[in-house]
Amino acid sequence: MSAPLLQVRGLTRRFGGLVAVSDLDVDLGRGEILALIGPNGAGKTTTFNLIAGVDRPTSGTIVFDGRDISRQPAHARAALGLTRTFQHNMPFAGMSLTDNILVGRHARFTGGLVDVILGARRLREQESAARRKADELIEFTGLGARVDADVSTLSFGEGRLLEVARALVSDPRAILLDEPAAGLTGAEVARLARIIADIAARGIAVLLIDHDMRFVLPLAHRAIVLKFGEKIADGPPRDIVNDPAVIAAYLGNSAGAAHA
Amino acid sequence: MNGRGVHALGWLAGMGVAIGLAFVLGSYHTDVYRKMLIWVAMALGFNFLFGVAGQIAFSHFAFASVGAYGVVILSHQLGLPFGLAFVLAIVICGLTAFIVAIPATRLEGFYLALATLAFSQLVRVTIDEGGALTGGTGGLANYRLPPFFGVDVRGPWYTVCLVLLVAFTLWILTRVDASWFGRACRAVRDNPRAAEAMGVDIARARILVFVMTSTLAGLAGIGYAYVDNVINPAVFSLENSFLLLFMIIIGGSGRHVGAMLGAVVLYLAPFALEPVAGNHYMLVFGVLIVLAILFRPDGLAGLLRITRPGKAA
Ligand SMILES: Nc1ncnc2c1ncn2[C@@H]1O[C@H](COP(=O)(O)OP(=O)(O)O)[C@@H](O)[C@H]1O
Ligand SMILES: [Mg+2]
Repeated sequence: MSAPLLQVRGLTRRFGGLVAVSDLDVDLGRGEILALIGPNGAGKTTTFNLIAGVDRPTSGTIVFDGRDISRQPAHARAALGLTRTFQHNMPFAGMSLTDNILVGRHARFTGGLVDVILGARRLREQESAARRKADELIEFTGLGARVDADVSTLSFGEGRLLEVARALVSDPRAILLDEPAAGLTGAEVARLARIIADIAARGIAVLLIDHDMRFVLPLAHRAIVLKFGEKIADGPPRDIVNDPAVIAAYLGNSAGAAHA
Repeated sequence: MNGRGVHALGWLAGMGVAIGLAFVLGSYHTDVYRKMLIWVAMALGFNFLFGVAGQIAFSHFAFASVGAYGVVILSHQLGLPFGLAFVLAIVICGLTAFIVAIPATRLEGFYLALATLAFSQLVRVTIDEGGALTGGTGGLANYRLPPFFGVDVRGPWYTVCLVLLVAFTLWILTRVDASWFGRACRAVRDNPRAAEAMGVDIARARILVFVMTSTLAGLAGIGYAYVDNVINPAVFSLENSFLLLFMIIIGGSGRHVGAMLGAVVLYLAPFALEPVAGNHYMLVFGVLIVLAILFRPDGLAGLLRITRPGKAA
């Protein structure tokens, strides 16, 4: 059996005296949808930030595709094929929808500024490949009707789809989704769930962070439950929902589990 | 005709008119025209730095002066062959920009503005205190463009050189803008965090843009040095840096057409306004700026509607 694509070992993040994430192990395989759930304050966002590279662990390692990326900056992780979306949509407001998506392809362009100025043939090929891929993702996410729209006029749900398209255009090997269903309408959630399943079907590993178990569990192949920074369960969703520790963690926090 | 053909024709027509003008204008208007071309070149570079990449820098004229003083000092004070002096002046601009960029581009907004203002003052003081080498506050004169490979570039042909300077600047910036690098610059401007998450090395992008546009400013400075065959610190003053900023805002920040329109309109405006408003034309500019910011954030270029909003011009 080959090693999982993403291997997190002993991940710990302290904020002063508070241990936000404690000695956490996570394995994520190719094409797998892994849900990271837990009540508010459990350490999900902190874990996400550590894996995405916008925060540094106090201790522990993050190995991606056999490479220790624990100390790599966020842009280098994206370039290695580990991309993300933002919980609060972060479009590039002054750019067209297509250009917004194309920015996600940044790391796939080779050569420097001199090649750009000299108009290297390879760059023209990379540019047309990027545009083909962007068009395909516009189709895939159903944003076609909005290509000419100013991105600041997109609805919240459309903005979320733009986030997803932007994170996929580089053909990443893993994608991190930060509460992707939050703020979406019922129909949008259903559409997003189909899209996430399709992403995994393409062989891309998906790490889904959410506190809404009802969105995440039907979709995930596996789930990890966090409570006060510690892993209290790791297994197939079917087992997770019946796990007494998980039920206890969410008990008295059912509001937190239910609202999106 | 396809888009490429229209594009090529546009360039050809523009170049034809710009070069044609060099041969029909009298000596007074030639002087006005040449300085306008320098402003257009400066505005194009600054627009990329400010409008496209979002860096609020006030060092553009400082780099122009590095280019201008560099070439004049190297070729006329130190007696190097012109070609070598030209290349060295550009290299010095690039290196200086690189050294300034490493700390400066780590700063955001207001702090970058301050750091580049400080750099501009440093350059100014260096020139003022440079003694015979820089000519001090009086500047340098009594030099001429030497024959280059046996060709004596004079009169309208020098104006043609300046047209080529603008064309070269526009050509480079258009290419860069339409590439992955141009998108990265705009992304960093609009949302640095998201840009980084997309794989953009923000520091690297910022430094590259700063070095590229500052070097282009140095090139424009070299072009300026032989317009009057006089350079002095006042030409590269802060007042001009602010005028450059106004040109971009009024013309339409982030678009090459806007930068060119803004430069032409604001450079020529005093000639039209001075008889009416006297020295108060700066006041008129100020009012125009406020109006532009309030009612037309996309500037004069926005009136043209050549491209969709948000699309790279
Ligand atoms: N930057 C920070 N500084 C101090 N404490 C933090 C910081 N970020 C998160 N925390 C704390 O770490 C714990 C986990 O937070 P977080 O990862 O946001 O949880 P979740 O996303 O699961 O709701 C919380 O107690 C939170 O207050
Ligand atoms: Mg959170």
